[in-house]
Amino acid sequence: MAAPHRHATMQSMSNGGISSGSDRPQQHSQLSQQSPGLRVPSNRKTIYDRHLNRTRTAELSRASFAFLFGEMVTYAQRRVTGIQDLEKRLNEQGYPLGLRLLDLLFYRSTSTSSSALSSSSTSSSPPNRPLRIITLLHLIHGPLWRLLFGRAADALEHSVSPDTPNEYMITDNDPMVNTYVSAPRDMSMLNCAAYVAGIIEGVCDGCGFETKVSAHNQPTELWPSRTVFLVRFGDPVMEREKVLERAGVK
Amino acid sequence: MGATSKPAILSSSAMFGSMSTLNNPNLLKMSYYFTILSPTDTPLFNIAFGTSKGGGDGIARFRFPETAQYMNQFIIHSSLDILEEAQWTNGGMYLKHIDTYPPAAAYITAFLTPSGARFLLLHQPPHLPSSTSTSGSIGSSSLLGTAGSTTRASSSSIAANPTSPQTEEAVRQFMNEVYESYVKTAMSPFYKQGMEIKSPVFRSRITAAGKKWL
Amino acid sequence: MPSNPRGVFSLIIINKAGGLIYQREFQSGLRNLSTNDYLVLAGTFHGVHAITRSITPKIPIAQPAPSTTSTGTAAPAASGYSYPNPGVPVSGLDYLETDKFRLTCFQTLTGTKFLLFTDPLTGGVDAIIQRIYELYADYVMKNPFYQIEMPVRCEAFDRHLGAWLRGRT
Repeated sequence: MAAPHRHATMQSMSNGGISSGSDRPQQHSQLSQQSPGLRVPSNRKTIYDRHLNRTRTAELSRASFAFLFGEMVTYAQRRVTGIQDLEKRLNEQGYPLGLRLLDLLFYRSTSTSSSALSSSSTSSSPPNRPLRIITLLHLIHGPLWRLLFGRAADALEHSVSPDTPNEYMITDNDPMVNTYVSAPRDMSMLNCAAYVAGIIEGVCDGCGFETKVSAHNQPTELWPSRTVFLVRFGDPVMEREKVLERAGVK
Repeated sequence: MGATSKPAILSSSAMFGSMSTLNNPNLLKMSYYFTILSPTDTPLFNIAFGTSKGGGDGIARFRFPETAQYMNQFIIHSSLDILEEAQWTNGGMYLKHIDTYPPAAAYITAFLTPSGARFLLLHQPPHLPSSTSTSGSIGSSSLLGTAGSTTRASSSSIAANPTSPQTEEAVRQFMNEVYESYVKTAMSPFYKQGMEIKSPVFRSRITAAGKKWL
Repeated sequence: MPSNPRGVFSLIIINKAGGLIYQREFQSGLRNLSTNDYLVLAGTFHGVHAITRSITPKIPIAQPAPSTTSTGTAAPAASGYSYPNPGVPVSGLDYLETDKFRLTCFQTLTGTKFLLFTDPLTGGVDAIIQRIYELYADYVMKNPFYQIEMPVRCEAFDRHLGAWLRGRT
């Protein structure tokens, strides 16, 4: 049933591809093939015509990001019940970005010869999906941070407490999102890097690691906006981790 | 058809050779069913097409045309258990051939994106003419007879064998192109993970990738 | 660059309605003013500034040269008077100098005024104000918790302002 229809689609495709100056009736049939809701930009370039690797010329100013992020925080602040609610909303804004970045990160590292993920995987050309917690955390600490902020994160630690072996900490001494943010005194617990925590959560979840990530202020004399991202893996992840360890999966 | 003069890849010469000897252009035309599943097993995209290499017309000719539409989905979904096992032992994105469904002679090849979307390609070699007398009657009653004939078919010719390295390489190239288009889709601010991909541009990209590599 | 630690005495920021939104001293030993006095000072200055702007003197345009395009078109010929620099809008009071201090006023495009009290011997005040404006644009205006025209309570602004002025010393 489906075959004749596909056939027709492909026919019109090849006509359009071979010569742009094809006969009028053919063009007409091609137009009628397009779904009525599809609108193409005037330069005929859809997102599929764009390159995913052009980053040099596509850099954004930090100021525009700061204003955008400021508006995002303001937006998230509407009708919130408290600091936790606000952080949750910021987290939710970051989560889908994490999912997207994951695919983009791997795409960029496969298509460029110098693998950006080389620190996380020993094998050379095709980067591997992270299967173990440590690989995943290295991916976040290094390549992901570089993709987002142009540098690696400052520290990666495992919880020393035997009660919480599922807790890991990623530290950023000066999170870019917080550069211009000063929380009011009555909200001193708030850390807007909850947005970044959401990104991390999205990345972990996308890779199949159920996680809760939260951002915490840990200021020091030198780094007043130092932030620790607490990554807490769920029990199923820890169980799988044990199984994979026994199986010798790297 | 215009697909004959595409640049040849490694496998095409082998395919061509065996085809000319058999002298039946219909014989080695594979039928493909490609689908993208979300991490929660929701189908996001489906397409059926046939071999375009070596003079193929790009039309899918499944063994049981009436049931193909849902049988293909059924076969693909039944391979998910195996996929989820392979997912945690093989860290690569391209997992190659993971499953075979003998009753329909269907081979499943898988590609996993880091964010958990699964690209699954079902290939089905065509009937062998020698068995037409038995399997000519199409329907579920002849399932067993077809199974016997396909094992012979896949062993006798490399081109029809979906597990040969040439096929795997071609599928890898195909998958990589799909991945690129998928990432672009995912980057769209109007696309949320788990949404069906409806873009006709995406569909045409996949069709083109299928024509180019398979 | 004169890097006298006593170069900058204090900073006042006045919003466009004349309300005091920021006040900070960088020098010990200044006479203490109450918050109320600061509010009055800000309001008074705002008024004085408006007056100085409206009394900016105009100079007569040279009558026999109407053919020169620039002055002829910039000011209506009927009035016959023009500001000394027709291309620049009237700014009002720019600075006030005494033998004890120098008060420099910088007004942004949106009408916010920065008042900087410096030692009369301090040079490069314009550069200092520019830098303060920059810090204000960064750490106040980009802060999602700052409400426009309201008092500035931004910890990062305080921190960077203090660090920069100290860095100059």
